[in-house]
Amino acid sequence: MLQKRGLMKGSVDSLLLSLIDQQPMYGYQILKELETKSQGYFKFQEGTLYPALHRLEAAGLITGKWQMLPSGRQRRYYYITVKGHQRLVTNMNQWQDFLTAVNLIIQPSSA
Amino acid sequence: MTSVLSQYLDSVRDNLSLGLVSEGEVLSELQAHIEDKVEEMKEAGLSEEDAANNCIKLLGSAKLVARKIYEAHSQGTWKQALLASMPNLLFALLFVLNWWQGISWLIITLGSIIGIAIYGWYRGKPIWLFPWLGYSLLPVVVAGLLLLYLPTGWSWVAIPVYVPLALWLVVSITIQTIKRDWLYGALMLLPIPTIVGWFLAVGQEGKFIELSLDYIHDIAPWIGLSFLALALTAAAFIRLRQRWLRVVLLFISGFLTLIMVAFYAEGRLSLLAFSVLSLIMLMLLISPALVERRLRRGKHRPMAKGTIRL
Repeated sequence: MLQKRGLMKGSVDSLLLSLIDQQPMYGYQILKELETKSQGYFKFQEGTLYPALHRLEAAGLITGKWQMLPSGRQRRYYYITVKGHQRLVTNMNQWQDFLTAVNLIIQPSSA
Repeated sequence: MTSVLSQYLDSVRDNLSLGLVSEGEVLSELQAHIEDKVEEMKEAGLSEEDAANNCIKLLGSAKLVARKIYEAHSQGTWKQALLASMPNLLFALLFVLNWWQGISWLIITLGSIIGIAIYGWYRGKPIWLFPWLGYSLLPVVVAGLLLLYLPTGWSWVAIPVYVPLALWLVVSITIQTIKRDWLYGALMLLPIPTIVGWFLAVGQEGKFIELSLDYIHDIAPWIGLSFLALALTAAAFIRLRQRWLRVVLLFISGFLTLIMVAFYAEGRLSLLAFSVLSLIMLMLLISPALVERRLRRGKHRPMAKGTIRL
């Protein structure tokens, strides 16, 4: 469990950027999407989501805009910025390199 | 919205210190999240009260959420850090380069500081503004101190007129700053005891004009050094994320610069004056926090069920 939490902590930015890159989303929607797409593997602690989103926004990687839902409610949608997209591409490349290297060690026959 | 959720959001707001606009944005966003979550849990069969309690449990400590969001926004850029340290640096240069002897340099420096402070005030009070704001109040404080050197009769006439006006100006600007964040108020007021300390050391025994110019010339590098320490403090303050580190920085820097004044003034600042200045420094650092607390309490009025204060 601790190992999973550690892995999650290191990948929060990439996961959030990746989801927002696919389509603009608001906080609660991000939580749901993360859970659904990972088939329940990733369950974000709700109180840590907004600090993470605001950190990414302060770094200029995403930007938030209030939008009206068909129900008439307002939600703050997050959009990825050019800088955010570049960061995501870099992170994904690093992640791929890391996975390849790990696979070379733990699954030598398949490499 | 249940009172327990309103209390939760109040607690988040009380610990955010991001300014009214940003706080409103954060609270609206959390309120939207809570609405969605409570609705989902009510659809799953929970009562409103249970849904609210579960929602708070899932969000975690309001203080922690607020602190993390504050830390996401609090750190200024290096450019902002440089801008915030500029008024202190200008004063350091005035003394190190002996520009203080030329009245034109003094006027240019004070004019620029007041101009930039007014510009920042009306441009959304950016994070770099507050040291400029502190120095822009300096002419008001210095003019008040100079009243002590007027002929006896004149002082008694001028002080009752000037002091209330000056206090009104200083207090209203300070309260506006504290409403944003008491730490900015403390940063703004930080140089005042140091400046008053140098003023008292230089203007010993009420003979400010006659004897002091040579003495200022002798100690100018040390006066400059104390302003340089304040400049470094302002820059570090802007770059730090954590509130507690900012508080520690202001306390250490405040008392260190006062000690510098006492040390380099070589006995011209009496123990009594030093003690009073230390007390003033302590009050200037603590009172913004107390004022902010009082202001926030004033805002917490009883509210109708189902409403939320943003």
